Amino acid sequence: MPPPTGGISEQLPVSYLQGDNMKRNTLSYKVRQYLMFGGVGTFLFAAVVIVPFIYGIYLTFTSWDGVSPEKPFVGLANYAAAFGDHEYWLAMGRTVIYSVFSVVLINILAFVLAYLVTSGVKGQNFFRAGFFVPNLIGGIVLGYVWKFVFNRAFVAIGTAITGHPTNSLLATPSGAMFCLIFASVWQYAGYMMLIYVAGFMSVSDSLKEAAMIDGCTPSQAMRNVTIPLMRSSFVQCIFLSITRCFVIYDVNLSLTKGEPFGQSVMAAMHVYNTAFTYKNYGMGQAEALILFVVCAVVGVTQVWVGKKGEVEA
Amino acid sequence: MKSSTKKLLTILLALAMVFSMAACGGGSSSEEESTEGGGAGDGTSITLFNSKNEIQENLEDLAKVYEEQTGVHVEVYYSQDTVSAHLATKYASKAPYTLNMVDAKDIYSLGKQYGADMTGSKWVDDTDYAISVDDKVLGFPTCIEARGILYNTAAIKKALGEDFDPASVKTLDDFKAMCDKLVAAGMEAPTAVLKPDWSLAAHYLQQVYEEREDPEAFVQDLYAGKVDLMKDEKFNALMDTFDALKEYNMFKSAPLSAEDELVHQAMSEGQDAFQFGGCWEWNDLQTYDYNGPVGIMPVPQNLKDDYTGKLVGGGSKYFYVDGSEYTSEADQEAAKAFLDWLATSDEGKEFVSGTCGMVSPFKSNTVECTNDIGKVVKEYVDAGNLVPNYDYDPDDHYSKLGIEMQKYLADQCTREELAKAIQDYWANVTPVEH
Repeated sequence: MPPPTGGISEQLPVSYLQGDNMKRNTLSYKVRQYLMFGGVGTFLFAAVVIVPFIYGIYLTFTSWDGVSPEKPFVGLANYAAAFGDHEYWLAMGRTVIYSVFSVVLINILAFVLAYLVTSGVKGQNFFRAGFFVPNLIGGIVLGYVWKFVFNRAFVAIGTAITGHPTNSLLATPSGAMFCLIFASVWQYAGYMMLIYVAGFMSVSDSLKEAAMIDGCTPSQAMRNVTIPLMRSSFVQCIFLSITRCFVIYDVNLSLTKGEPFGQSVMAAMHVYNTAFTYKNYGMGQAEALILFVVCAVVGVTQVWVGKKGEVEA
Repeated sequence: MKSSTKKLLTILLALAMVFSMAACGGGSSSEEESTEGGGAGDGTSITLFNSKNEIQENLEDLAKVYEEQTGVHVEVYYSQDTVSAHLATKYASKAPYTLNMVDAKDIYSLGKQYGADMTGSKWVDDTDYAISVDDKVLGFPTCIEARGILYNTAAIKKALGEDFDPASVKTLDDFKAMCDKLVAAGMEAPTAVLKPDWSLAAHYLQQVYEEREDPEAFVQDLYAGKVDLMKDEKFNALMDTFDALKEYNMFKSAPLSAEDELVHQAMSEGQDAFQFGGCWEWNDLQTYDYNGPVGIMPVPQNLKDDYTGKLVGGGSKYFYVDGSEYTSEADQEAAKAFLDWLATSDEGKEFVSGTCGMVSPFKSNTVECTNDIGKVVKEYVDAGNLVPNYDYDPDDHYSKLGIEMQKYLADQCTREELAKAIQDYWANVTPVEH
C-alpha cells in the first residue's frame, strides 16, 4: 500500500493530533497560532493605524510645514501653541454643542424609528430599508444635496412666499449649526436604528408578556423591562454617535465649509486648515491629538458608565 | 423573528460593512484621476500634475499629440486637494510628479525647495512673467490672468439700446450713473457679488496692496502696524466702489445666499450688467445660456492715480520641474523639453490660446484668444496696462480676511471695524519670508 499523501494528518506533528497540552502551552505554538489567525490583520492595523499614529505623535514635536524635507525639532512648542489657539478652542466648543444636540437627537429618533419598525406595522421591512438609506450616501454627497436644498429649494420657497429674496439658513451662524445637526441626524438615525432594532429583537416576548400579566401597562413594560434589557444597544449607539460627531469633517466641508464668517468651523476642520491650508503641520497634528484624547475620554467614560449598570435577563 | 426580516437585516448589515470599508479605502483612488495607466514601453515617461480643472481633458489630448511627435509619454494627473497639501503627500511618499502646476506663491516655497533651474530654456526670453528665485528660473507661466469688473455688453445694449463703451466708465461716479441708468431702463439690479473668501479677500481686497508704487513696503508697514487704513486713499476708494457693488447687488437682501453658480448665470445670461471677477470665469460663464460678449474693465474708482485704467493681474498657474533626487536627470530634461514645446511649438500656442482660451504669457504667441474676457485682457497686456500681482500673502490671508470681507458684505460690520480687523490681522501674523 502506497503511503498516503497530501492528507492534513501527514503534515501536522503527532502532538497536534494527540492533543498534547504541554506542547500547546509553549510560546512558539501560541505565537504561530496567533500569526496564522491574526497576523495579516495585525500587520495591516499596525501599518495603517499604529505606525502613522506614532509617527504623528513624533511630528507634533517638530515645526514641519508639511512639504519640507527638514523637520526641525521644537519640543512642546506646538502643544503650547495649540492650547493658546483661541480659534481652536472656539471650534472645539462648537463641536461639543453640535455633538450634544446631534447625539441626543440621533438616539431619540433612532429609538423611536426602531420601535415603530418592530411594532409590526405593515411594510416595516420597507421602512427599515428606507430609513437606512441616508447612511449609504457618503458625507460629501449628502452635504452637497442638503446644501442645495437649504440654499436653493428653501430660499425659492421663501422668496415665493414673501416676495423678496430670503436669506438661506446657511447664511447665519446659528442657522448653519442647525443645518449641520439636521443633516447629521438625518444621516445617522437610520444606522443607529438598526442597532436598536437588534436590541428590541433580543428582548424575549415572554418577558414582556410576564410583565403585562403582572399588571404592567405597555409603557411600564417598556420602561422597566425592555429598555433596561436594551442597555447595551444604548451604550453602543451613543458611543458610535459621540465618536462620529466629534470628528465630523465631510459634512462640515461640503455643507457649510466653515461659513458664514468661519462660525461653523468644527474642530476637525480647524485641524485640517491649520495643518494643510496654513502649512502648520506640527501644530495641526498636536491639535488633532488633543481632539483624539478629548474624544477618547468622552467615549470611554460613556461606555464605562453605561456598562456598569448593564443587566441580563 | 420572521425569516424575511432576518434576511433583510443581514443584507442591510452586510451593505453597511461594505460601505464603511469603501469609505475607508475609497479616498486615494477617487481623488486622483489619471489618463491611461501604463507608461510608454519604449520611450521616456514623465508625469504632469495639473491644478486647473477646466483644462484637464485638453491637457490629456495634448499629451497624446506630444507622444505622437516625440515618443515621450506624458501622464496627466489632476487632484481637487489643496495644491500644496497634495504635492506634500507626493513628496512624503518619495514619488513626486515630474512637472507640477502650482500657484505663483508656491514657486517661492515648493519651487524654491525642489524646482530644477530652467535658466537658458528657449521660452525664458519670450516672456516677462517667468519666476526666478535666487537667480534661478524656476516657474514657467501657463497663462496670464487679470482681475477687474466684468461687463455684459449684450445686457447693457438690451437695456439702454446703445453700445456700451467701457472707457466711458472710469470713475465711481460714472459707474453709479451707469447703474442708475440701467435701473431706470428696467434692469432690476445691475450688479452681483461673488461671496467666496478667495474672491473678496484674495482678489478684491488684494488690490489695496497692489495698486501702489511699492506694495512690498506697504505690506511691511502693515506687518509693523504702521498703517491706518481709514486714512488710506486707495483703501477708501476701493471700498467706496465695493459699497456701490453692494448697493446695486441683485442679492442685496441675502448676499451670503448667493451661490457662485447664480452669480455666474446672471452674468452669462445677461440678467445683470457688472460683476467683479476675472478671465478664469470664462469657463463658468460658458456653462449657461451665454449671451455676450462679456468683457472686463478696471475697477472704477474716484481716485486718479497711476493705476487708473489698468487691470490687476499677471502670470498664473506656474509649472516647476521637480529637481529632487526622486526625478532622474533624463526625466528632468524631458520635462523641460515639454515646456519648451508648449511655449514655442504651433501646437502648444494653439493649445493655450485657442483650445483653452487662455491669455498666453509668451510674446511670440499670436494665436487669437478664444475667450471673450481673455481677448480684452490681452489688449491690456499688450498695451502694458497690467498692475502686477502681489504674491507674498500669508497662507491664511484669504480665509481670515475673507471672513471679515463677508461680514462687510452682509452689513455685519462697519468700514472702521473692517479696517481694524485687517490691521489687526497683519500686525499679528508671522511675516512671510521671501
